[in-house]
Formats: sequence, structure tokens, C-alpha cells
Amino acid sequence: MTLLSFRDVASYYGSARILDGVSLEVGPGERIGVLGRNGVGKTTVANTILGIATMKAGRLEIGGREMKAPRHFDAAHAGISIVPQGRRIIPVLTVRENLQLGAATRRPGPWTVEAIYDLFPILRERADRPGTALSGGQQQMLAIGRALMANPDLLVLDEPSEGLAPVIVDQLVDVLNRLGRAGTAIMLIEQNIGFVRDVVERYYVLSKGRVVDQGRLDGVSLEALKAHVSV
Amino acid sequence: MTIHILNGFVYGGLLYILSVGLVLIFGLRRVVNFAHGGLFMVGAYVGYAVALHAGFFTGLAAAIAVLAAIGILLDIGVFRPLQRHDPLLTVLVTFGILLILEDLVRSIWGKDYVTVSVPALLSGNVEFLGLQYPVYRLMVIALALVTMAGLTLWLKRSAIGLHVRASSVDAVTTAMQGVNTDRVSATVVGIGAALAGMSGVVAGPLLTLSPSMGSYILVDCFIVVVVGGLGSFTGAFLAAMAIGQIHNFGIVYLPWAASSIPFLIMIGVLIWRPQGLAGGAST
Repeated sequence: MTLLSFRDVASYYGSARILDGVSLEVGPGERIGVLGRNGVGKTTVANTILGIATMKAGRLEIGGREMKAPRHFDAAHAGISIVPQGRRIIPVLTVRENLQLGAATRRPGPWTVEAIYDLFPILRERADRPGTALSGGQQQMLAIGRALMANPDLLVLDEPSEGLAPVIVDQLVDVLNRLGRAGTAIMLIEQNIGFVRDVVERYYVLSKGRVVDQGRLDGVSLEALKAHVSV
Repeated sequence: MTIHILNGFVYGGLLYILSVGLVLIFGLRRVVNFAHGGLFMVGAYVGYAVALHAGFFTGLAAAIAVLAAIGILLDIGVFRPLQRHDPLLTVLVTFGILLILEDLVRSIWGKDYVTVSVPALLSGNVEFLGLQYPVYRLMVIALALVTMAGLTLWLKRSAIGLHVRASSVDAVTTAMQGVNTDRVSATVVGIGAALAGMSGVVAGPLLTLSPSMGSYILVDCFIVVVVGGLGSFTGAFLAAMAIGQIHNFGIVYLPWAASSIPFLIMIGVLIWRPQGLAGGAST
């Protein structure tokens, strides 16, 4: 069973078509990357899963179930947690409460507030501060921790390295590889090719709303990948 | 003097119970709900009608239950379908609902004023701060405090309270975490309407029931919400108590200006602090 499957999906914002026949899939424990330049529709892949973008053609399966018009909360119930672009930390909640919010659809699994604190010790130190009082890197840790609180089968991360210092990105690489080794599937939507290479096994390249290249990363040069995201 | 202060707290307490429902609904739905006055009035009449046969407290419970159901239907049938439209449209629809509710009550119970007796259990006076003060009025103040404490605990300590606070700021991100925000909204509007119904029943022995009672108190209610800061529970409590005092002292000492003083204060607050006294605070 695939955790996530797009088959010839066309997605829209209003009348603007953003995804134009995209097909991709993620199986249990897989680590895939979705690459492409700005504005090619990468975030719309996540937004289609969330029902923010409207799917008008094709077939979308989430957690093995076809969804014609997914509601925002359906993916979480199907075991897919999304770390959105820009983190979207809730400012009126503390760090601890932001984590607790992620447990709304909690399934059995290893991730608890304490386990998240062990993964990101800085969050324990800042537990009672407003979530948005953290630095960008810390907010990214919080967003990942919040997503893990559901004990998902698949973690979708949309541009997690955006605006982060290289040393923080290296920490994220370590964390995502640990999660991957523990069996959590990962879908990394990114422009940072170095980051993608350090985490994923397979990749899809989007251009103008279509998948224009895909395959395993083994043997693909960094320069060849960079050509897909450079202007 | 003490008696006027206590009476001010009674009216303030009543205003708070009514206004906090409006604050809850605005906080989550971003709807300025003119129908809230109608819910207050319907609650008063439902409580009155049931109390005639089954006693005051059964009437209170019935009004809370009926208004909670009406609130849920209001959310599902009106607020949810209109949530992506111009907010002004929703305001107009809620104003229409207020007029419909007034006509409905007028056709069932007539347009004459109705008086409601204080329940026997809470009748009589008790010595308080050196005064003989009505037990029922003290109970209204106590009910406002219990409502504030209960809502604060519910919002701060319960899982759904967490979801309500999160949804009121970012409903999409909250839903991403698996929270059914439509259900959260229906719950909140149901609770807000139930509070309006409860305040209507509680107001019965203090005010006179009439189909237009909701429209009258709605004006004070909006002043409370604006002065306190839209969406602020703490602000609503402080503003309700202040407006209660001003209302009461105005009637006693400046009767010619009593009805205009709250408006002047609202204008002053809007000029000095447009976000309200506690605007920007989440609770």
C-alpha cells in the first residue's frame, strides 16, 4: 500500500491551474524529494493533500484511500503530517501547547512531548514561551516536533531549510535521517539540493506544474540536480 | 453607595455572561453576531415558558439546551456557508435573524411585557457588606464569576480549549494537525448561544421580558466587546463590570446622561486605544 499517491493530478487556486497532470507516490519508509524552482507548484503538492488547492482532475490517494476533495484535517487522520512552508507556529500558544496541538490525531507510537524534548532539547528550555518567540531554526524544530506528535507514517516537509543557517540545516539532516532510519517515510519539498541529497533516496522534479524528471538519487550528480532548480 | 456598586456588578455580571458568548463567536468565526441579542431574548422566553410548568431551574436548563442547539444550527446553517463571503453579508444576515426571532417571539407570546418572579430558593435578602441585599442578585454576580473561571479553565486546560485558541488565530494550521475545525466552531457557537440563553433566563427576574429586550441589551453588549477589545475574554469582563457601574451610577446620579455615557466611553476608548482595553490578548 502506498501512503500517498498522485495520478495525473491537476490542481487549481480559483481558475489558475498550478499542477498539470502530476503523478508521484510515496511508500512506507521511503524518503523522496520534490524539487524545482520557485513557482513551479511544489507547495501546491502539499496544498493539494491538505485540500487548500482544489483538485479538478486525476486521482489522489491518501493513506490508501481515494480522496476527491480532501478536507484540511483528512491527511492527519490518514497518518500524514505536514510541516508547512513558513512553519505556521500558532503565536498565542506556548511551545508546549504547540506540540500538544500536534497530538490532535495522535496514534500509538514513540513520539510524546518528552520524546520531542529529547530530540530538540532547546524546546524543553523554551517550553513555556510563546512559540513565535523562538528563532527561525527553533521554530522549524517546533514545527517538526508538532508534526511528529501525531506519530505519522509520512512526514511532508515544505521548504524546511528556508531562511536557516547552514549549521541548523545540518542538524535537520541528522534529525530527518534518524526519523527515516526509524521507519517514518519522508517527503521533502525543497530547493536546497545539498539538503535533499543528504536525506532522500528518490526524487521528482517539477517544472510548470508537471513532473519533468524522476528517479533514484544514486549516481545522479549534484550538478545535474542543481540544473533543475537554478534559474 | 455600596448598594449602587453592588447593583452595578449585577448588571455588569449579566452583561459579561451575554457578551462573553459574543466574544467567543467573534474570536473563532470573526462574525459580529447581531442575532446574539435575539438569542438572549429567546432564552428568556424559553426559560419563562418552561418555568411556568416545571420551575425556574428546569427553565434555565431547558433554555441552555435549546439555545445550544440553535447555536449549533446557526453555525452549520449560516456561519459556515457564509465564511468565505464578505463579512458584511454575515452581519446583515444575523441582523435579519434578530428581526425574525423578535417576530417569532411576538407571534407566540405577544408583545406585552412579561415579568418573571425570583425563584423561591433564591428569594429574600441576606446581610452582605452591612446591607440587606437580595440573594438572587448576589447569585448573578457569583454566576458571572463562575462563568469566567469555568471558561478560563476550559480554554486553558482542556484539549478542545487548546483547539479553540489555536483555531481563533489560524484555523487552517489547526486543521492541518487533524482538528475538525468545523466541529470546534459549532461547539463554540453552541456554547456562545447557550450563554446568551442562560443570561436571558437570569435576566428574567431583573428586567422585564419583551420581544425587543434583546435589541436593547445588545447595544450595551457591543459597547462591552468594543471597549474590552474584540476577542478578549479578560477585556470583556473588565469592560462589562465598568459599564455595569457606569450604567448604574448614571441612572442614579446623572439620569439625563445615563444612556449616552457608555457611548462616550466607547468613543474615547476607540480614539485612545482602538484595539480596546485588552485588545490583542487571547484570553
